[in-house]
Amino acid sequence: MESLIISKEKFPEIINTIVKSYRLFAPTEENGFSGFNIIKDYSEMDLSYLNSRMPPKAILFNQTETLFLMEPGTKGTIKPKEIRNEKTAIFAIRPCDAKGFRILDTVFFGDVVDPLYKANRDNSVLIGLSCNQPDSSCFCTSFGDSPASGKYVDILFTDIEENYLVEVMTEKGKDFINDFSRFFSPASSKEIEAKNAKEQEAIGLIKRNLKVEGIEEKMDKMFDHPIWEEYAKKCIGCGACTYLCMTCRCFDMLDEGTLDKGARIRVWDSCMFPEYTIHTSGHNPRPARMNRVRNRFYCKYSYFPKNSDVIACTGCGRCIRYCPVNIDIIELMNRVSEMEL
Amino acid sequence: MVDQKKLVEVAKETLARKDVKYIIGYKKGSYGFQTSAAFAYTPKDVEEFIFTPLCNKNLAKYPLKEEKLPLKRGEEEDKRKIGIVVKGCDSRAIVQIIQENGMKREEVVLIGIPCPGVIDQKEIEKRFPNQSEITEIDEINDEYVFTVEGKEHKIPKQELLAEVCKTCGYPNPVLYDVMIGEEVEVNPKAEYEGIKKLEEATLENRWEYWEKQFQRCIRCYACREACPLCYCSTCMADLLEPQWIRRSVNLSENTAWNIMRAYHLAGRCVGCGACENACPMDIPLMELNKKLGEEVKEMFEYTPGLDIDAKPLLGSFNPDDPEEFIK
Repeated sequence: MESLIISKEKFPEIINTIVKSYRLFAPTEENGFSGFNIIKDYSEMDLSYLNSRMPPKAILFNQTETLFLMEPGTKGTIKPKEIRNEKTAIFAIRPCDAKGFRILDTVFFGDVVDPLYKANRDNSVLIGLSCNQPDSSCFCTSFGDSPASGKYVDILFTDIEENYLVEVMTEKGKDFINDFSRFFSPASSKEIEAKNAKEQEAIGLIKRNLKVEGIEEKMDKMFDHPIWEEYAKKCIGCGACTYLCMTCRCFDMLDEGTLDKGARIRVWDSCMFPEYTIHTSGHNPRPARMNRVRNRFYCKYSYFPKNSDVIACTGCGRCIRYCPVNIDIIELMNRVSEMEL
Repeated sequence: MVDQKKLVEVAKETLARKDVKYIIGYKKGSYGFQTSAAFAYTPKDVEEFIFTPLCNKNLAKYPLKEEKLPLKRGEEEDKRKIGIVVKGCDSRAIVQIIQENGMKREEVVLIGIPCPGVIDQKEIEKRFPNQSEITEIDEINDEYVFTVEGKEHKIPKQELLAEVCKTCGYPNPVLYDVMIGEEVEVNPKAEYEGIKKLEEATLENRWEYWEKQFQRCIRCYACREACPLCYCSTCMADLLEPQWIRRSVNLSENTAWNIMRAYHLAGRCVGCGACENACPMDIPLMELNKKLGEEVKEMFEYTPGLDIDAKPLLGSFNPDDPEEFIK
């Protein structure tokens, strides 16, 4: 790992240089909140943000994606979708969301590799920006991570007042930096210390903690516990938590078309919707909201760690922040953690 | 301010009735400025009940959300009533649902709360994004008083009051079994912020505005699920045959969804703002609903959710109905 610095004066210039050869996604503010969009100029970027409203999974795993195109006819024709290899950089992704990609990798690079996600992922450089101002719903530290962790990104920027400390974490990151090396100079120990101080300060701002220790074993014994019904009662069954979740990745596939052309598409689906599990016969194995609510928490905190050795939650806090009825994963999981069985 | 002791007392009395199953009210939320729906089955549960300016959810949705799973052999349906704590808008939603035969009057017991208006959740969270501690808010002399990180804040009510409350003409429950406290004064602002601006804009600009709004819809259906008047057993957006709205999430389908929902609420929307509150993408849905509400009022002199014996607007015919559209 290499530590470099770039002054804030030079910063607009490097961004405006990167956009010439990369599709650069960066946070922009629109309608009062942030989202990742392709930018063409430094001025479009807004770094005062806490995090994007939509998780950056949407960049590499689009909400609606065409899988192949078709034309009807006596035989019909199928045109495979061209996979575009566009050099992409995602700038100012938060460490929690970068971890989300690592979690999505275990699914999309599992037994069957998803070619669309793979192409997007391979062509993307993740450039993180440490979170200096976490908010009341942030809890990445519960998983042993940090708001200034470089573990899941290729390069990590940290705002240390007049400069950014730039930590190069991977080979991919190194290759990227080499193309723009003229903007960077080596960091001194003082600057590295400044980052560490910022990191400690940010960690201190995270007030809420989800007690993850032993939770998987606890949940093994709690499948029929009334707590799920209790939370399902107030759940209204919308898909906000799953669509805004960085690690939820379920999708539905269907054909859409007109008389003369069509496509097979995939579009995000949500386990909070009754149709998600309904069978053609009409039978629904998760008939009640309780089954669905329970599944969301089991998926993240029990099934996923059993299959992939990692909890499918990064502590980004979006499901807490945007739940219309205050279903709070920290509150619920802590009650599970503390439950005497 | 609502007398919380009285609320708990009344809720306890209601729960003690043999014909009441449980009561839906509000309790403290899990952090910051959140409050949560509370389902009280025992007197102890009722003790958690609160009513503060942060109780901004519409609880009228919940009786409709109750799932009736198939009965086991020999099991009998529990026909006892559901108690609900209702503000003016919640009570109007209940009235509208009863009018439409979505629910029967005898299925619910209503504990009415004369509502002094509630806080815009998004606005207060925007102002104090780091507040993780559960915060209680008092309303004193047209100011909201609360403490954030040891510092007391006094914010003029109008700055935090939800826009729907500023124009609310029915803060007092229109239907109730018990009322907590005295009726509040009705003093609504005439114009809903945003509508005038849209009315003055050109057609092109208006369309551009809504394109921008619908573009970011993620079709999570939080608007639908939060809306007390969206209670169809199968929403047309979920139908596959015929598929009225495609699953693709793009401007065209998002527009179809949002406009369709707005039209289905014309003459039915009680203006509680639950849809807009729930929307994670901050789409100003109430501008659509309020505009349609105004049109309905102007053309048919009809206000939904006031009288359980009235006919729903679209379920009635009046020879005097305007018909300017027939040329």
